[in-house]
Amino acid sequence: MALAVVEDLTFSYPDAAPALDRVSLEIEPGEVVLVLGPSGSGKSTLVRALAGLVPWFHGGRFAGRVEVVGHDTRRARPAELAGVVATVFQDPEDQIVLAQVEAEVAFGLENVGTPPAAILPRVGRALDAVGAAHLAGRRVVELSGGELQRVCLASALALEPRLLLLDEPTSQLDPDGAEAFLERAVASGAAVVVSEQRPAAALRHADRVLFLDRGRIVLDAPRDEAVAWLDEHRPAWTTPAPSNTVLQGTAGEMVARVGGARFAYGGGPEVLGGASLELRCGEVVALTGPNGCGKTTLAKIAAGLLEAQGGTVERAGRAAFLLQDPGRYLVRETALDEVALGAGVERGRRALEDVGLAWAERTHPRDLSSGERERLALATVLVTEPDLLVLDEPTRGVDPERKAELAALLRAQAARRATLVVTHDVVFAQEAADREVSLGAEREALAVVA
Amino acid sequence: MRPTAAAALLAALAVAALLAQQLWSVGAIALVLLCACLRAGRRARPYLWGTLFSAGFVFLLSPLVQSTGWHVLWSGPNVPVLGQLDVTTEELRIAGLNALRLAAVGLAFAAYALLLDHDRLIAASTGRRSVLAAALATRLVPTFERDAGGLVEALRGRGLAPEGLRGHAALLSPLLAGSLERGINLAEAMEARGFGRAGRTRLPSPPWSALDVGAVTLAALVVVGALWL
Repeated sequence: MALAVVEDLTFSYPDAAPALDRVSLEIEPGEVVLVLGPSGSGKSTLVRALAGLVPWFHGGRFAGRVEVVGHDTRRARPAELAGVVATVFQDPEDQIVLAQVEAEVAFGLENVGTPPAAILPRVGRALDAVGAAHLAGRRVVELSGGELQRVCLASALALEPRLLLLDEPTSQLDPDGAEAFLERAVASGAAVVVSEQRPAAALRHADRVLFLDRGRIVLDAPRDEAVAWLDEHRPAWTTPAPSNTVLQGTAGEMVARVGGARFAYGGGPEVLGGASLELRCGEVVALTGPNGCGKTTLAKIAAGLLEAQGGTVERAGRAAFLLQDPGRYLVRETALDEVALGAGVERGRRALEDVGLAWAERTHPRDLSSGERERLALATVLVTEPDLLVLDEPTRGVDPERKAELAALLRAQAARRATLVVTHDVVFAQEAADREVSLGAEREALAVVA
Repeated sequence: MRPTAAAALLAALAVAALLAQQLWSVGAIALVLLCACLRAGRRARPYLWGTLFSAGFVFLLSPLVQSTGWHVLWSGPNVPVLGQLDVTTEELRIAGLNALRLAAVGLAFAAYALLLDHDRLIAASTGRRSVLAAALATRLVPTFERDAGGLVEALRGRGLAPEGLRGHAALLSPLLAGSLERGINLAEAMEARGFGRAGRTRLPSPPWSALDVGAVTLAALVVVGALWL
């Protein structure tokens, strides 16, 4: 018998076009279902419908039926489904409720009425299962993005759900971290529905793949069949084989040079212990490395947002920096005003066109999806026409087709400046960069010029 | 010390500061609380600045709007609605007392926000919903500070660093909008994790220690003692 049944589901958020259009599917116990699709195709809405959050939390027009473990979500509130269903959302900072890791993982167990004597053992088991037992006594503010994401997964696994819903859960994790995260989720034995924009790791674990486009399921097939379909119809979604072909930009004048930089935040442990980096006009450089190795710190030093506490920094020209959180670029009432801030309306329009957001000129920035916000934030820095452009994780929440467009855009504009892209996205780094600088666990920049 | 005992002690100090009539006693309470806050290091800065600003504002403004005392130190013009602006020794004393009281209450809140384990406070509380709301509200100041820092950093990354009071004031609206959005996301995550469902249980808490009992006793003594100070 199916664990979850979605029958002819059509849903529209208030005053909006349908986010899901006559969607039907069944999920079997223990099955791993990967949901793919472009930004705004309805992936997150489908995940929320399975959790009962649509329509209970969001409101809107709901037609059809969603039944999870015998509960009709039109009658059972999301809180009543908790325990049977558990959800991990994209941004860990927006789902952490309490200040201490152990209490945070126990929060859901308390809510669903777990006997007090059983709470701590289950918290311990869940933290252990995600490799985070050592974090139990820590405060959440002290954790990195990757550690927070593991705590969120532990909070979900502690409930021992039968259906685990993951909405782009690996967007802040490096490839090894993402792989480990998905392995742990699948090992829980629950049926897993995971929506992803970086499908490579998730495809290895999936039994079945759904592809959504404009709210409709256009593919529902076992993995191997789905990969063949993707190769034929959506090639950007299947990971190309690692290429030894290196795009060689014409490296010109030095724009920024960081030599032996050292840095520690607020008297804490050293984040950078002697990292070096050189960026020249005309080249696109990918800065890679595991979570917490200091990539962002080094990039901020190169752009002048942070002052190195040791070593040397030389900079020629103006730098612009795109931070990881696109929400920090939303300070005006329309997308055009946002981009035109300090650059003028005409340049603003061109920048919106460059990132494929010309249609959103009059849209409030907060009405855009996460992928669209990322592109808007990119436009706000591109419009300044800097000599050094630094992009910190610019592909977070962006679908592979848009990533390919972004890589092409960076290539097309490469000659105008030096570009540094901090990224976990190996495929994007291969597509966009002339060379890769890998910041290793030993926290020194090792220039790997392929 | 368990957070309920520490919270009781902080509340008692705040109440004592409001009840006490002597400048020296209220000043001593404020000093004790200031020392406690300084244990939090740099994180205490926004709270200390906020408290200093509020207390300073009360100290400067209240003598001008009061009409108490005979020992005039300064006599100013006659202002419509407010009347004669003057400052007396008695008014200064009252202003100092009120400013110190406000500072003590502000510092007690700062110590509560900076030093207590709010998770354990929630776990120990009978009114879980209201205490959870209070705990989440307590995180507002550091979250605002971090978000504001992020907005300024993003603008600097665009070559548009905000300047002056007006430039920073323009960030208030996006800051509030971002907080509302975060609040909605958090509420959704809480609902998905069963918050609000009937029949909830609690993480077992450790038994009361002698230190906890001592702190609660001291809290009671501080309040009673304040009636004589």
